[in-house]
Amino acid sequence: MDSDDKDKFEPAKQNEDPMNFNSASISSDWQFCSANLSSAPMNLVRPGNSMAVCREDLIGSSSCSSAPMAESFGPALWDHLSTMENLGFVNISAQNNLSTSHLLGIRKVGPESVRGDIGWNPPSSMLKGGLFVPSALGTLPITEGLPHFPTDSGFIERAARFSCFSGGNLGSVMNPFGIAENAGLYQIAGGLVPGPRDVFPASCPKPLPGAQSEKNEMNIEACRDVHLAATQGTPQGSPLKNEGESESLARSRGEAKQGATAGSSNESDEAEFSGGGSGGQDNPSMLEVTGGEGSAKGFDCKKRKRSGEDAELDKAKGAPQLAESPKDDSRTQQKLENNPSSNTSKATAKNNKPGTQGSDPQKEDYIHVRARRGQATNSHSLAERVRREKISERMKFLQDLVPGCSKVTGKAVMLDEIINYVQSLQRQVEFLSMKLATVNPRLDFNIEGLLAKDLLHSRAGPSSTLGLPHDMPMSFPPMHLPPPGLMQGGPTGIGRPVDPLRRPMQNQMIPLAGGFKEPSQLPHPWEDELNNVVQMGFVGGGGGGSGAAPSGQDAEGSVPPPSHTKVEL
Amino acid sequence: MKNPQRSPTNPGSLRSRFTQVFLQSLLRIRKHNPTSSSSSSHGEFLKRCRRVKVAAYVSMARAVGTRRAWSRATLWRARNGERQRNLLYGRCSKSNSRERSLGKRKRKKKKKKKRDNEEHSFGHAKKLQKLVPGGEAMDFCCLLDETAHYIKCLITQVKVMRSIADFYSL
Repeated sequence: MDSDDKDKFEPAKQNEDPMNFNSASISSDWQFCSANLSSAPMNLVRPGNSMAVCREDLIGSSSCSSAPMAESFGPALWDHLSTMENLGFVNISAQNNLSTSHLLGIRKVGPESVRGDIGWNPPSSMLKGGLFVPSALGTLPITEGLPHFPTDSGFIERAARFSCFSGGNLGSVMNPFGIAENAGLYQIAGGLVPGPRDVFPASCPKPLPGAQSEKNEMNIEACRDVHLAATQGTPQGSPLKNEGESESLARSRGEAKQGATAGSSNESDEAEFSGGGSGGQDNPSMLEVTGGEGSAKGFDCKKRKRSGEDAELDKAKGAPQLAESPKDDSRTQQKLENNPSSNTSKATAKNNKPGTQGSDPQKEDYIHVRARRGQATNSHSLAERVRREKISERMKFLQDLVPGCSKVTGKAVMLDEIINYVQSLQRQVEFLSMKLATVNPRLDFNIEGLLAKDLLHSRAGPSSTLGLPHDMPMSFPPMHLPPPGLMQGGPTGIGRPVDPLRRPMQNQMIPLAGGFKEPSQLPHPWEDELNNVVQMGFVGGGGGGSGAAPSGQDAEGSVPPPSHTKVEL
Repeated sequence: MKNPQRSPTNPGSLRSRFTQVFLQSLLRIRKHNPTSSSSSSHGEFLKRCRRVKVAAYVSMARAVGTRRAWSRATLWRARNGERQRNLLYGRCSKSNSRERSLGKRKRKKKKKKKRDNEEHSFGHAKKLQKLVPGGEAMDFCCLLDETAHYIKCLITQVKVMRSIADFYSL
């Protein structure tokens, strides 16, 4: 059965080869495959068998094997499945879910972009198939043989490794196919990881801007290296690209490998994520799942994908764009001046619609790490943006901290509010220290007992203070101070400012008052008033009335204005 | 004195730490200045008030530890305040040299940072920098961070002080 299948596959494949090589149109390939499929024995259609078939004859069965696989997935995925076919091999290690995820990932790219890839893929894949079929019949892991061909996670890994490491491999394998091959590889790489890449720009800036920059640099290096390797065979000698590559070559080799390996593993994760997630619409959420980790790898993917996209757009320009696009984001040292606006605009177009599938080949899924629509991609502006985001984050936190600032918008007003609040808090501390200075000598401290009770009071205290409406804390200072100032005036004076606040306070004061069971009482002349004041939560002032008065008056003078503004708010 | 829980976001631990330190310092002040209210002069009273205030800030800084720039600045200022005052009045050359040696690094850092970061701070931020201890040596971003933590600690401080004052005012 298997051998029969293989036999059937081989002639089919052989037939396909000329077809694929000759035909630039995908549809013809697909039709051919479909014809093959239809003619293929029914047993191939069954998923189990198809899997077995795929495993057994990977290369030879390329399109044919994937076709049954495709069929098993349903007609809806046919387009994508066909891309799978051309791209390669629903792989050995590929499981159904992985292939599905891979398909889903491809779907995000958009058929047109993939079609562009597909045109290139078959030749290379067929070539590999041809090379390996004789040797690899029955041997499962084509992984070694065809690292760069499709299989979801495995593909991505291999694509990364392949592109980064295989300057030589590329040459040996790809040279016969020339530029197209290299471009095709890129496209494959690009085409296969569109989904996760789409996701990245949205949330890349968020998670770890600092870490990202480092990773991005690594990834950029990797991408540069990739570009370099890819374009080695290409006669396109765009000066920019060559310069950049020569510059970065020495640096990027080691880094690229590290970045590539890191990126590849992450890419696989991302691919799975993208597959695991829904379609393109869920990209942002998926990206957030991957988080900062994924962003770095995604960055790598993005670069390659972008390069693939570029190649699609214009193969002649593909390489230079490849070289350009990844560099602009975080490498200011590079002399290469990319076209950030063009890339950004493209990227942003895609960023805004991560799931664009029906777009024409011109619009590609650029995935920018951080640059958003209409924003410069200069590293300085990126750093500025990161800084601004940090600042806005902290301003929001401060907004929560400072009472009554929820409605305030704008940094300047917020800052004013914060300054006022800090000043009022410091004045409260000063006033309380004054009070404690007067209270202090009178009483014997029983530290342990005091601590225990104080903690109790502290627990009760916050309930009383926190229970107050927002404008209360601000109105506290003025109420704190007038009593000392008015103390000279007489006890009656204290009652009045206290009264308006008594009502809202009393229910909260009860627990506080309940805690005050200490025997020591202040021998104040105004003890009654002070008790009232204390019950209100006001600091009634110490014995040093004369000493307190000037400071109280001073503070009183200065305090009302901020409280005024607070109350108005 | 220092709880194993150092996070200031846990108000219980920070509050208890602050309370302990502050009460101890209050006791110390009381011991050093055993004057009754009636006999205290205005100047004495003011000195005492200042001492209590400084003690409050220093105890809070100690409770926070040296993790925060503002607490470090507060502690450094408290430690070198005397020397700074001497320096200002030009009283003691020894104290000057001591201050220079001790505070050299910090002051240089602060000045340098101030120069570097001035461009980053807005006009408002300068006010805030003066309010928050150690704020001059920070860029705007760090300043906001420190301000948030400082406000949190100030709130705790005010609460504890108020509760102590209320406790003893009855």
